[in-house]
Amino acid sequence: MTSAFRFLDDIALADSAFEARGTTLPELFAASAQAVIETMVDPATVAPAVSKTLVRHDRNLPELLFDWLADIVFLKDAEGLVFHEATCTVTEDRAEGEWRLTGTLTGEAIDPRRHDLRADVKAITKHRYAVQQEPDGWIATVVMDI
Amino acid sequence: MRLQTQMTVNRISDQIWEIPTSEKTGMLVPARIYASEKILTSMDRGVFEQVTNVACLPGIRRYALCMPDGHWGYGFPIGGVAAFDRDTGVISPGGVGYDINCGMRLIRTNLTLADVTPRLEPLMTELFRLVPAGVGSKGFVRLNRTEFDEVMRKGARWCIERGYGWHQDLERIEEQGCIPGADPSTVSDHAVERGINQLGTLGSGNHYLEVQVAADDRIFDRPTAAALGITGHDQIVVMVHCGSRGFGHQVASDYLKVFEKAMRRYGISVQDQQLACAPFRSPEGQEYFTAMNCAANSAFANRQVITHQIREAFSSVFGQPAESLGMDIVYDVAHNIAKVERYPEGDLVVHRKGSTRAFGPGRPELPEIYRTTGQPVICGGSMETGSYLLVGTDQAMRDTFGSTMHGSGRTMSRAQAKRTVRGEQVRQQMARRGIIVKAVSMSGLAEEAGFAYKNISDVVETVETAGITKKVAELRPIGNIKG
Repeated sequence: MTSAFRFLDDIALADSAFEARGTTLPELFAASAQAVIETMVDPATVAPAVSKTLVRHDRNLPELLFDWLADIVFLKDAEGLVFHEATCTVTEDRAEGEWRLTGTLTGEAIDPRRHDLRADVKAITKHRYAVQQEPDGWIATVVMDI
Repeated sequence: MRLQTQMTVNRISDQIWEIPTSEKTGMLVPARIYASEKILTSMDRGVFEQVTNVACLPGIRRYALCMPDGHWGYGFPIGGVAAFDRDTGVISPGGVGYDINCGMRLIRTNLTLADVTPRLEPLMTELFRLVPAGVGSKGFVRLNRTEFDEVMRKGARWCIERGYGWHQDLERIEEQGCIPGADPSTVSDHAVERGINQLGTLGSGNHYLEVQVAADDRIFDRPTAAALGITGHDQIVVMVHCGSRGFGHQVASDYLKVFEKAMRRYGISVQDQQLACAPFRSPEGQEYFTAMNCAANSAFANRQVITHQIREAFSSVFGQPAESLGMDIVYDVAHNIAKVERYPEGDLVVHRKGSTRAFGPGRPELPEIYRTTGQPVICGGSMETGSYLLVGTDQAMRDTFGSTMHGSGRTMSRAQAKRTVRGEQVRQQMARRGIIVKAVSMSGLAEEAGFAYKNISDVVETVETAGITKKVAELRPIGNIKG
């Protein structure tokens, strides 16, 4: 399994859904972030001028991914940023019994003259939300409110 | 009749269909769907699943309802209505929706199509300039936290105090544009950060600002239309569809998390995580209710600032004050909200998600000017078809907790719409039909193409025949602004 995402047609009539895959958890988190990014903008039109690094931890892995994706939506509204790319490290701290994420988003301030803007993702939802481990990697199903 | 469900669906009348409590374990009341046979057969399976899930929620009264524009949503179906006992029932963010107080506003003018046609292009350009739309758009109103708290408390009243509107606007807004009891301390900093720069912005998705025509042959009830300020004779009106933007979404997201944990404490289990709820009387329920009211008031304020900008645009293009152009609000309705309302059973927490309040004549909540007509109900169609102005009825008070439809409802996914047509094609096709479109996102325009929606006239006929609202006028678009 390699890192990738595809949009799903049959889940969200009025909104948008995707399935992301990764051989590793960092790949899954990066692919999921890229799906959220590409729902909002064509990343080829966004320069990697600003870098935001987010550090999060959670005992619950699906919640960690959920909050990471919600952060992208938050940064779009609160700081007016759209992104080009996401990279992540995800590790398990067995002693603390929690998962740790360090995610970096590169992008720039929204400029409708230069950016090919798409749909405004307003929330990551729990509708049919799932993070599953398969023999060859990880799969996440995410529905976004548009 | 082939339905997208295996459940038993009994015909109550040609417009009312009932799923009995025997169809799902845990249903406390039957589910009722308002639809013609044609609309019922086109409804996705999510509607049947979700309306019966709602029927399982604690404290629900009479029926879980779904209006004819119903389709799959989060937790509740879009088009869903449910009323819960104030003392023993729940409140659920999934029954309100993420976009708290998403709603419709209609503004009349004294202008006619003949007046506007020669200046339609500059008018749409000016509206597009003054009303920001699309991903990450910011409004011109700059607020500090204290001022934003005032917006949460006062809603549209705050705007009038600041000069963004006329005093008489307030009586033409549901709840006079200000729901009491909004407490900003129940709102997260995250929500404030998302919303503080967005006052006066349209957003994207299915939100729009539309310049429309009320033609003589599309006025169905002339006395009521006249009482609402709609004269016909190709009169120009302006319709706005938007809500509480990122602020409301963050309030909803925050409280879904709170309620997921609270449900365990209160021993509530639900069929769908998005139906997370808490007893209305619980601390969590009350905190969500006050935070939701903050978001609802911010949405009233958002549409009020947009109204101010619309008046500025018309005034600039036509060289007259907005007062001389007769630009009064017809009405402003919320179609994503929960409210405490009085019915024969007592005080109920009525959730309307993609459903409009449709109070009949005589209700004390209505302003004096509409006490005899019934409440104006504004229903938006797709950007390529018409929209409708309706009024509420006594029968809606008896049958549907004073509720009716809110729009046309999608039948095709966004992805499929984009595969079917390009945004530029939609723009050109609409231009050929005399509709000027200004859009921030061409892919967003393709997603909103008319064929992706139900025929709104079919939906309106259903609620008219069912008696829960009465048609007043159909409004045809000539200019549209989309995010």
